[in-house]
Amino acid sequence: MALDMAKYRRLFLEEAAEHLSEISTALLALEKERGATEEIDVIFRMAHSIKSMAASLDYESVAELAHALEDRMEGVRDRGAVAGDDELQSLFQGLEGLEAMVGEVRESGEAPAARPELVASLRAAADARTEPPEKKVLR
Amino acid sequence: MKGRVLIADDASFMRQMIREIIEPEGYEVVGEATDGVEAVEQYEELHPDLVTMDIVMPKRSGIDAVKGILEKTPDACVVMCSALGQETLVMEALQAGAKDFIVKPFKPDNVLSTLQKVIEKKSED
Repeated sequence: MALDMAKYRRLFLEEAAEHLSEISTALLALEKERGATEEIDVIFRMAHSIKSMAASLDYESVAELAHALEDRMEGVRDRGAVAGDDELQSLFQGLEGLEAMVGEVRESGEAPAARPELVASLRAAADARTEPPEKKVLR
Repeated sequence: MKGRVLIADDASFMRQMIREIIEPEGYEVVGEATDGVEAVEQYEELHPDLVTMDIVMPKRSGIDAVKGILEKTPDACVVMCSALGQETLVMEALQAGAKDFIVKPFKPDNVLSTLQKVIEKKSED
């Protein structure tokens, strides 16, 4: 079965733009209130959604960065608040990286180049503050 | 018609993809829910044969929604839609009573074989 991937690329661009806008608004709110529960949840869910859509279209670099942001926000959620300015900066950089990548997809239709430095920044802070969950292989 | 399906996912992208995979194969999509609260409400209203349930959703998570559905309908058929890194949550959902899971990014053959298996098991019971 072949899916109409052009349709899903359009949907991705529409939904990712909305999600990134929501992440931006939520991050600005977190800047003022580091423990804003609803905003923390919004960023987590939006990053998760971008990850899933990007993976479906084989935009692995986008999925990887969104996954790192999602995991980082899971750590924030577990702690109840953004830890400090450095963490907030990493989150903003992650957002900017995703915005640039989605812009590249919009312009070229191709998978954007990876941004390992942004992934590493998000992962480093997350790993430093949270224990990774035990992974179980189901299949 | 193979079965009446309720799709629960907050992303239109994912709802459309599941619909496009299953409708040509004879499933009828009877409803779409965009959060966990809607999923439970629509289940009670529509009584579908099967639900595809995303895990991460607003208002009420997919796992909570599974619990809500099974509380009133213990034999409900719910298939979880999981993503990379959600192994622990999938395990929790299966322990709560979800019948199976499909993994994003969706592979049409895998989605169809999983739904078929769950529907067949339901008719045997």
